[in-house]
Amino acid sequence: MATSIDPAERLLNLLIALVNTHGRMTKEQVRASVAGYADAPSDEAFERMFERDKDTLRDLGIPLVTVTDAGHGDDIGYRIDLDAYALPAIDLTAAELGVLTLAAQTWQDRTMRGDTARALTKLRAVGQGPGATDLVAGLAPRVRSGGAVFAPLLDAAQARQVVRLTYRAASTGEVRERRVEPWQLIARRGGWVLLGWDRDRGATRSFRLSRIEGSIRAVGEPGAFDAPSPEQVEQAMAAWREGPARVATLAVLPERAEATRVRAIETPPDAPDWSQDPVVGPLVVGRDVVHVAFRNAWELAEELVGYGDAVLVLDPPDVREHALQLLERAAALAPAPRVDDDVAVLEVERG
Amino acid sequence: MAERASDRVVRLLGLVAFLDRHEGASVEELARQFGVTSEQVMADIDTLWVSGTPGYLPYDLIDFDFSSYERGVVRLTESRNMTRPLRLSAREGVALVASLRALDAGLSGALDDERAQVVRSALAKLTAAVGDAAGTVDVSLTLAAAPEVAAALATSLREGRRLHLRYVNAADVSSERDVDPIRLVTDTDRSYLLGWCHAVEGERLFRVDRILAAHVLDEPAEHHPLAPGGGEFEPGDDGALVTVHLASQGRWIAESTPVQEVRNLDDGSFEVDLRVVSPAWLRHLVLQAANEILDVRPASVAAEVASTARAALAAYGPLADPARVRPYDEHAGA
Repeated sequence: MATSIDPAERLLNLLIALVNTHGRMTKEQVRASVAGYADAPSDEAFERMFERDKDTLRDLGIPLVTVTDAGHGDDIGYRIDLDAYALPAIDLTAAELGVLTLAAQTWQDRTMRGDTARALTKLRAVGQGPGATDLVAGLAPRVRSGGAVFAPLLDAAQARQVVRLTYRAASTGEVRERRVEPWQLIARRGGWVLLGWDRDRGATRSFRLSRIEGSIRAVGEPGAFDAPSPEQVEQAMAAWREGPARVATLAVLPERAEATRVRAIETPPDAPDWSQDPVVGPLVVGRDVVHVAFRNAWELAEELVGYGDAVLVLDPPDVREHALQLLERAAALAPAPRVDDDVAVLEVERG
Repeated sequence: MAERASDRVVRLLGLVAFLDRHEGASVEELARQFGVTSEQVMADIDTLWVSGTPGYLPYDLIDFDFSSYERGVVRLTESRNMTRPLRLSAREGVALVASLRALDAGLSGALDDERAQVVRSALAKLTAAVGDAAGTVDVSLTLAAAPEVAAALATSLREGRRLHLRYVNAADVSSERDVDPIRLVTDTDRSYLLGWCHAVEGERLFRVDRILAAHVLDEPAEHHPLAPGGGEFEPGDDGALVTVHLASQGRWIAESTPVQEVRNLDDGSFEVDLRVVSPAWLRHLVLQAANEILDVRPASVAAEVASTARAALAAYGPLADPARVRPYDEHAGA
């Protein structure tokens, strides 16, 4: 009695047969000779099984190639391209494998996690034997999932294939289909971003993955566009890069905002004496003037408004304006209680 | 969940390649090397033993030294040409290189020189093996810790020693506490220390950018069993239910905040439900996201945040004059 063979075993036998075949194997040869395929109860079942197994091998990075041979009419044969099969020589120490294990666990996305786990198995096969694995104990770096569109976008970017995606614009909420040449996926504060060339607008654009609706579709052939030049990527990335370091001047109530104060730097030599300023002077009475370095004006403003009246931004004007804008919007979330207005101001003055 | 056939095939091939390079490895050694149980290794050896080229006669099959295997040592005697290590697929290579780069750039503050060097050498070797295809993904991790704090956290985790922390919470109240570190969680936004806090006798997450000072104590850290899902921000059932109505641009809030539910509305805006334990935390969230927030319920929360904002505007005095000259708006989103 023939027992049904495990799919992993069938895949392995298919691969061993193809690696060892002289020339090529046809589908019929596979069905007749490779362990596991005789189980297929019908032609159709065999076709499905074989197609799936070919896809699986290719997904694993195995270069399964199709060979048509004029001498054999138009039937198709298969073989493994052994030149492209093997991992280039790589000599990994046990410590390096430990770091790679940590890197593999970084991805929270299920598809990517599966990929990195398999990559790790492949690397372990050529690494030194098991060693100390606690080299990076206690560290848990994490990269958030980019959602269901992430892996297909990455595949398209790798293959340089144009994608169609439905995008909800941030500014208007308008939903529209875009055709994009995907260049690069970047993980930044607030999530994943796709950088690419928007074919409909004829311009570089960035797309937040969280605003892509539904699934994406690769259209057309691989290699449909050239890799972007470093300058193009640089330009597209510019909006997501941190700016040059600048210094902000804050007026902080005593013993407040310690998490910000801990980053305080020395007073820059060219800093004005704010207490002498006719407008700002009265505001800093009873407050400490604190200088902090920052790169992103919005990020700093968002941090500082959390302290309410305990922190005032004196300088630079753009950070102050961002903070004021946030406060004005927040103040508009509820009408000011008319009768209590004076009380609120009094409370402020008491600090 | 059963293992996927593809994952098992990769390990079966990996075992052959490894055994070709390491003559006579024990079952336990193989289990540790590939991160599986000894039972799984033995099941894998059984599968390899009956696999081979069509015909499947004895000399067609992958073979092992039987007498050595009976002593628990695996010795490969016939490989059927399967000893080549398998190359990485494009996505596998990119994913690993991107996270190694992020470790190198973002976590170096939490690694001593020796470990930072290991990250760099692994990255260099992997990049050489994968080629230039790795540029399609760029990940950055944010440790956001003062160098002394990062170094103290790293030392305490590495050496298993207790920490003394000065910490300021979301309500801007600072405190001192002893903490047994469990792990340092770093993502693209910020880092958290998961630790056992002796002050509250419980597991706590500390935002690393709010750790004002950290000292490594001589006492060893005690081992505390980790609660299931420890270190994750799972929204619990405690705390008040608050609903925030956000404009489409506020999608990042739903991504970076532990929300209970997200409801998309027809006009592109959406609502999130939050369970709020700390009013101070919520106040900060609403203030920093005010540009994207359309409404907050219950109304008492909106009123409280609005009054905090008005108090701050009042403190700005003439600088907050509604008639002030406004500079250009820098906020250019995608």
